[in-house]
Amino acid sequence: MSDLKALNEAVIKGDIQTALMLTQNAMDAGKKAHEVLDQGLIAAMDQVGDKFAKGEMFVPQMLRSAKTMQECVKLIKPQFQEGDFKSKGKVVIGTVKGDLHDIGKNLVAMMMEGAGFTITDLGVDISADTFVQKVQEVEPDILAMSALLSTTMPGMRETIETLRKAGIKDKVMVMIGGAPVTANFASEIKADAYAPDAGSAVIEAKKVLGIS
Amino acid sequence: MKPLEIPTFQPRLKVLNRDQALAIHAAALEILDKTGFKMEHPGARKMLADAGCRILNNDWLRMPSYLVEEALRSAPTQITLYDQMGNKTMPLANGNPFYGTGSDATFTLDLETGVRRRAVKKDVENFARLVDGLENIAFAMSMSNPEDVPIEHIYVYVFAEMVKNTNKPIVFIADSGKDIAKIYDIACQVAGSEDALQRKPFILNYSEAISPLRFPENVMERLMFCAEKKIPVCFPSGSNAGGGAPVTLAGAMALGIAENLVGLVVHQMVGKGSPFLFGPNVSILDMKSSVVSYGCPEWSLTQAALADMRDEIYGLPIWAYAGASDAKVMDAQAGAEAMFSIITALLSRSNLIHDVGFLEYGSTSCLEMVCMANELISMSRFFAEGIPVTDQTLALEAIERVAKGEPGSIFLTDDHTFENFMQSLFLPKILDRSRYDSWKSAGAMDFYMRCNLEAKRILSEHQVVPKPDEVIKKINDILQDL
Repeated sequence: MSDLKALNEAVIKGDIQTALMLTQNAMDAGKKAHEVLDQGLIAAMDQVGDKFAKGEMFVPQMLRSAKTMQECVKLIKPQFQEGDFKSKGKVVIGTVKGDLHDIGKNLVAMMMEGAGFTITDLGVDISADTFVQKVQEVEPDILAMSALLSTTMPGMRETIETLRKAGIKDKVMVMIGGAPVTANFASEIKADAYAPDAGSAVIEAKKVLGIS
Repeated sequence: MKPLEIPTFQPRLKVLNRDQALAIHAAALEILDKTGFKMEHPGARKMLADAGCRILNNDWLRMPSYLVEEALRSAPTQITLYDQMGNKTMPLANGNPFYGTGSDATFTLDLETGVRRRAVKKDVENFARLVDGLENIAFAMSMSNPEDVPIEHIYVYVFAEMVKNTNKPIVFIADSGKDIAKIYDIACQVAGSEDALQRKPFILNYSEAISPLRFPENVMERLMFCAEKKIPVCFPSGSNAGGGAPVTLAGAMALGIAENLVGLVVHQMVGKGSPFLFGPNVSILDMKSSVVSYGCPEWSLTQAALADMRDEIYGLPIWAYAGASDAKVMDAQAGAEAMFSIITALLSRSNLIHDVGFLEYGSTSCLEMVCMANELISMSRFFAEGIPVTDQTLALEAIERVAKGEPGSIFLTDDHTFENFMQSLFLPKILDRSRYDSWKSAGAMDFYMRCNLEAKRILSEHQVVPKPDEVIKKINDILQDL
């Protein structure tokens, strides 16, 4: 157990080399992949999430921790048994038609991935039809859309309407965000969730899916 | 013979030496030459390729330095903006500073309730009228993204609203080549004709590429439209440290300048000699909240550095920001951050300084904040004028009169004081220096409350010279036909 504590520390510090070494050591010592994942990596990321929310960690440090975890997961993945790795949910994400600004969207995608969601990132400038087509294909739990420009916000409404016309609006939770987007706008266009920033995107996503 | 006058030193901030300026410029050129950029406008791409840029794949280009040199040679070193009556009010040259508001805030602090709410068209009107009535605010931007106008024509509506409520120069935003043409039509109606607008432009377009190094088609459409019509333009991409750009300020500046230079090259190819206001926005991405900060010292530092680069290299008037804050209400943080950027922008001699009056990292506009900034600009301006040293200001005669005068002689009663105090001292209007008891009996108002009263006073008393009926009718016709 003590070596997993050290692994926690390495993930929190974002020390990739040490974390990989400790992960390997734990596996060599006979730990199960799911123990390393749950107690070594996910437990560390929960602490990272707490520290970030309290303002004790900065964005690049949190992202580095997430990267450290991902590298370690890669290492133990071959040893996973059926059911070891449970995704918190599937998310399709992109910026709406006409909007090419993707820093915020990328940050949301990375943070959600770090929190255990499986992300399909469609990129930027995504039309309503493409969003809907991908939703049909991937069958995600959440469709996340972002807009930085107020002029591209109507793309969110259009996507929701297209989802409705395709008869799949009730099959997916729609979450929106971006600088000009407000909670009022979200309820007006009948989005299921609104997140003002990347940190709250994770919280809102968990909330709409009813997970902690 | 009369002795020579002693010139007045006017305090000036320098933050880069020549070697630093040249090294950042060289890095910008290297980015364009070695890394290249993504040009998504087919026309601009073809033009650049014909002029000597190398096409790597599809829309990725590399630019040789000589194209930059050529563009810098043909761009005018002075841009003059006029007010809407044709008066020359903003000669953007050398170190002339002009402050104005910002654009596109989603929210505003309500003047009556103080509550943050979604911006509406009436807010565009109020900000324009307030700007019209404040002596240190030289130009207007919309300050609002109103929710009660058709969103597909939002920029045409806010422009029309500004024109109806101020006669000062306007810095405007557009979405594409389509709505900018409508805005241009409105501006021509105000100026009288296309030719009159070109001779005495009262508008400047704000447009931006996407960092890092991406030039979308609609952005280039606007830039090329302005180049063709000789509408003054600025093109500051948001190469914010840690966001669209590297976290180190020198690299963020080099990237932003590189992006600006691509804009300048295309702009000068389309309209040789058309006015181009230089400079990127280099703020930072806050490492906790991931917002782009509007109150950080970094942005003031990079624009002071840009002013040094203007003096050392570019020679073009520059774009800047000041008088904004990350605070959510107009509190001490808002005052501190606003003053920091206002005085450094002035001391470094930035030219066109926008975003005055923003709270919440540019998401909320605040009328009281504009009134506060107006006063802080006066204060900074006074400081930047320096200390004139003349016989009159040395006042040796007054000293002798008072020191050797009748018992009870004081400077306050001396003629020299009466004749000189107005221009020798800074006389605050809203900053409070009253004695405690009178402050208390006047309602014990803090600065925010006093700025609130000042904003209300101006909005109720200030008369904006109205546009002729036929101009208003034509503007309304343009809006009808959208």
